[in-house]
Amino acid sequence: MLKIDHDQCNACGLCEKTCPFGAIAVKDDQARSNESCSLCGACVNVCPQHALSIQRKQASAEELAGYRGVFIWAECEARAGELAPKRVVYELLSQGQRLADKLGQELVAVALGDGRLAGLESLCAHGADRVLRCEHELLGQYSTDAFTSVLSAVIAGQKPAVLLYGATPNGRELAPRVAARLRLGLTADCTGLDIDDQGQLVQTRPAFGGNIMASIIAPYSRPQTATVRPNVFQAAPPDPARPIKLEEVPVTLNKAVLRTKLVEETVVDAEDEKLESAKVIVTAGLGCRQDGCLEKAAELARALGGVLAASRPMVEAGLMPVTRQVGQSGTTVGPDLYIAVGVSGAIQHLVGMSSSKTVIAINQDPEAPIFKLADLGIVGDAREILPRLLEELSKGKGAADSD
Amino acid sequence: MFEIASQAITPAGFEDVARVEGWPVINDQYQAYLRDESKLTSEACDYIFFPRDEAEVAAVVLEMARRGVPLTVAGARTGLSGGSVPLRGALLSLERLNAVEALYYVPHVEEWRVRAQSAVTLRDLNGMVLNKRFPELARGGDQADRAELARFQAAPGDFFYPPDPTEMSASLGGTVATNASGARTYRFGDTRDWVRGIRVILANGEVLDIPRGKYFASANGRFTIFDSQGRGRQVRVPDYAMPRTKSTSGFFAAPHMDLIDLFIGAEGMLGIITTVVVALCPREPKCSVVQFTADDEQALDLVESLRSQDGLPLDFLEFYSQKAIDLLRRRQAEEPAAMGMPPIPAQAGAAVFFEFAFDPLAARPDFSLLSQAVERAGLSLAQSWAGYELREMARFKNFRHLLPETVNHLIAERKRLYPGLHKLGTDLAVPDDKLRPMWNVYQEALDQAGLEWLAFGHVGNNHLHINLLPRDMEDMQRGLELYSRFAAQAVAFGGTVSAEHGIGKLKTKFLPEMYTPAQIAQMKAVKQALDPQGLFNPGNIFLS
Amino acid sequence: MNIVVCIKQVPEISEVKVNPETGTLVREGVASILNPFCEYALDHAVRLKQGAPGTTITAVSMGPPQARAALLRALELGADRGVLISDRRFAGADTWATALTLCAAVRAVQGDFDLILVGKQAIDGDTAQVGPEMAEILGIPQIMYGVQMELSQNGKRIKVKRESESGYQVLEARLPALVSASKGETIRRLPSFADILAARDKPLETVTADNLDLSEEQLGLQGSYTQVVKIFPPQAKKACRRLEGLSSQQAGAEIASFLRNGHFI
Repeated sequence: MLKIDHDQCNACGLCEKTCPFGAIAVKDDQARSNESCSLCGACVNVCPQHALSIQRKQASAEELAGYRGVFIWAECEARAGELAPKRVVYELLSQGQRLADKLGQELVAVALGDGRLAGLESLCAHGADRVLRCEHELLGQYSTDAFTSVLSAVIAGQKPAVLLYGATPNGRELAPRVAARLRLGLTADCTGLDIDDQGQLVQTRPAFGGNIMASIIAPYSRPQTATVRPNVFQAAPPDPARPIKLEEVPVTLNKAVLRTKLVEETVVDAEDEKLESAKVIVTAGLGCRQDGCLEKAAELARALGGVLAASRPMVEAGLMPVTRQVGQSGTTVGPDLYIAVGVSGAIQHLVGMSSSKTVIAINQDPEAPIFKLADLGIVGDAREILPRLLEELSKGKGAADSD
Repeated sequence: MFEIASQAITPAGFEDVARVEGWPVINDQYQAYLRDESKLTSEACDYIFFPRDEAEVAAVVLEMARRGVPLTVAGARTGLSGGSVPLRGALLSLERLNAVEALYYVPHVEEWRVRAQSAVTLRDLNGMVLNKRFPELARGGDQADRAELARFQAAPGDFFYPPDPTEMSASLGGTVATNASGARTYRFGDTRDWVRGIRVILANGEVLDIPRGKYFASANGRFTIFDSQGRGRQVRVPDYAMPRTKSTSGFFAAPHMDLIDLFIGAEGMLGIITTVVVALCPREPKCSVVQFTADDEQALDLVESLRSQDGLPLDFLEFYSQKAIDLLRRRQAEEPAAMGMPPIPAQAGAAVFFEFAFDPLAARPDFSLLSQAVERAGLSLAQSWAGYELREMARFKNFRHLLPETVNHLIAERKRLYPGLHKLGTDLAVPDDKLRPMWNVYQEALDQAGLEWLAFGHVGNNHLHINLLPRDMEDMQRGLELYSRFAAQAVAFGGTVSAEHGIGKLKTKFLPEMYTPAQIAQMKAVKQALDPQGLFNPGNIFLS
Repeated sequence: MNIVVCIKQVPEISEVKVNPETGTLVREGVASILNPFCEYALDHAVRLKQGAPGTTITAVSMGPPQARAALLRALELGADRGVLISDRRFAGADTWATALTLCAAVRAVQGDFDLILVGKQAIDGDTAQVGPEMAEILGIPQIMYGVQMELSQNGKRIKVKRESESGYQVLEARLPALVSASKGETIRRLPSFADILAARDKPLETVTADNLDLSEEQLGLQGSYTQVVKIFPPQAKKACRRLEGLSSQQAGAEIASFLRNGHFI
């Protein structure tokens, strides 16, 4: 609970201004908290009088120290008849390696799938000391029941200190299920990971739609588990000199475990490049709603070899499919080039594209928040600018061809 | 006091004022400045000026007066009558006069006020007021400003600025110059009711500072305006009576009127408004309700029932005619997501949209008066949509915007076949007791003429926007004729030819429907007294 | 059939602003709303009830006393009964402790549930963890990101169309199960004003920790495995080269040369 040392409190009111929940206020010259307090500790950090503290229970260290190693769930996806690790797995490996080095422990990838599992050697080249291969015919298609069962068993047996998942739809479904089974702390959708001086995993994630960041620890349970947002971290280049160590883990799995049945599957958008792995993205916002501007944005995306995406209002207006939506409630992207056309940049949008390497924004409103993240910002009407830009680009091409 | 003196201001160097010169450049690169929301487009404009302060405005006014180049004044160019579209000469864009200057409490009237320059938008103003955050005052203000801001932040409850002409990107100065109104005028009056002071640059380059409640017309209907040299000019207040409706047709006039009211709604003909002081209003939580009815008649029954119910203050009272609901239903079938509403009930023939104070956590909410008023019209509140969370109310707002947007879309398609074709939207209002007679005139005439049409708008103020949707140029011609007939009828009923859009350049032909030549001559005399050279906004209000 | 819908009250995120000087949240005037995804969950509950008359929909929310407003919304939108789980001892609960408390409450107020519906995630925390954790604690299957739901003829199974990474899947599970609702093409329903008034006469009870089969150390911060140690503002990015007042021609040329310099073309 939040303790307030009334002798120290000088009623300066800083805590009241800092609290994200309206849970503390100065009344009658004293700070007082109410039932909205979530014990987030924001006030503790700012109190100049050190009058605030949060009482948390004490950790029992020896038992926890027995858990060692950084483990990564190597989510695989079907590609050309094989089940190969997703891009996010390589991002996790680069982070995992950093954490494992800090801990002086091993980095292990755990892959689940059927006989089509392939490309696991590359996990070692990207930093894994060991790869645990869990093969079973019932693991060919992701199911929460089967995957929870197998992964929980592996983790319970291996006792790692850290377990990371990509915050993909499946990862975000699987991680809490495993955490609940094993009674583990779990942090969702992290964008920062580190090890503190007590060897604890510090997990940082955005909250309140990206308006604030929170750092979170799990002091009493091991492994410390987190899902990690894709496209936030860079994958490291492979090191072909690293030894390859694949271990087959025997899987016992019964059909009775599966309580959900896949009846039907529809693939939308299979032809297009996937948004989350695109190198160039042109995103259309409400500013492109009229006068054929959306078509021009699509043309720009094609001209740059990129993918067309949309902001939430465009999707809600039914002008683009939801699979093309960038943002908090859509896809998080991290392309080399992100062009926001007529996107004002609500915070929910910004958190979904803030790791883009280069950002160009075109918007009529000079105060549009998207400019905060842009490298180049053009204040103007996209409907008029895009046609001119396309002309310029085709001009450039003509010149190159004639060389 | 009927005498007032203007003050000289040291004009800035004319050459220092930011500008664009020359029609070719302006026409090529500054298209946006050549039109407003009416889509009337300028075909001659030699300068666009972007003054930063009053001294620069004065410099432009004096230099243009010297050269005999008329000035058209633009705010955010959101008008619907072409008022800010230059016919010729120069355009003076006030967009850089966008500072919020002060926020203060006036104890004897218990009122918070904001003083701001003309180009501050309604959206920005309301954003600052609602969030109680005025970054400019917090950063740039002096200690007294900051203390007053802190007091405002500590004041219990929320506030807002009531005038709401729907288009919230409108500039404050523009809304004062046009006396903007809108749906909420039903409860809160028009812009005039919330303006507490203005600063106006006159044609002689001097500035008039006019607080409300200080300068009133003399018993014989006159003001005397002195310049800084002591030279006086007489302004005679016209002697016509204003219609018993909201109105933006011609200059405001009344016995013993406040001088400020002469400038409010004068569409920039008498001077350039640079700064305004407006009052804020405490804001209660609200609930939006769309009540469906069987048909238009029942909707009007409901309007009358709600209007006559004492103790039931509604913020606005809006109408969707049967044909409007039909159009929305078709749009919904095509694009359900764009509408963002559940299916319009199959039995709904027309609808009335209103809003009132609602506290969701009240222990025992009593809405028996509302229920009774609805039941008197033979309806039940079960046939409604309601919402009170802010984002729910935003859905209703979107729903309201969707109708004009759908109409515009439809017209744009037809325009491809007939480039000369455009939407005909009326802006007529009549007194309360003439709502039904006027509705009957509309309905009979339009149906007889076989025109496609629909109606929506501010039925609480007897101010319906009849939208004629011509299918070809013949329809267009018939529509124009009917429009004139309706305008004459509205005037005959004691109403107005323009309730909120203003006369601007597009409706000048309607002014003579409402005023006699002698009355128009009185208006022109006011203009002549204050702007003898005819410098400001040529082509507005008066037929040229 | 008994449906329990777990809902959450959240701040209207789009209104949340950060004070640029202090980097803290400005919460003045920020309204509390019913989490939008919870509304989709309620929407599905009402649709399922339409196909299975006699169904009872119970809305359950854990939160401070003012979360009553969210339950009133749920009652307006078609829930038959509201349960507020509120106790100061719940303060500081992470997703695990929240899931555990919610499960205990569901067992206490509607132990014979057939279906638990939740929103895909709450827009304030965005964790999407409480649903799966509840399903695990209750030992029932889960189907996440549902956009269409249908009960089998005998009411013993549910078929859910759900969003997947590459499109849609249809999954089927035997009841009792937990299903989370995503937006899909759902258009949130609107109550009538009569519904709004009627909601105020529906049962809305409050449950405290004393009514739940949980020990003190399972509640709130004590029962949580994770702890927030620090809250700070997100990092601002480098300054933007922002160009204003260009003609469309100039703007097009600027962008093109920027793209060339960056070797994007």
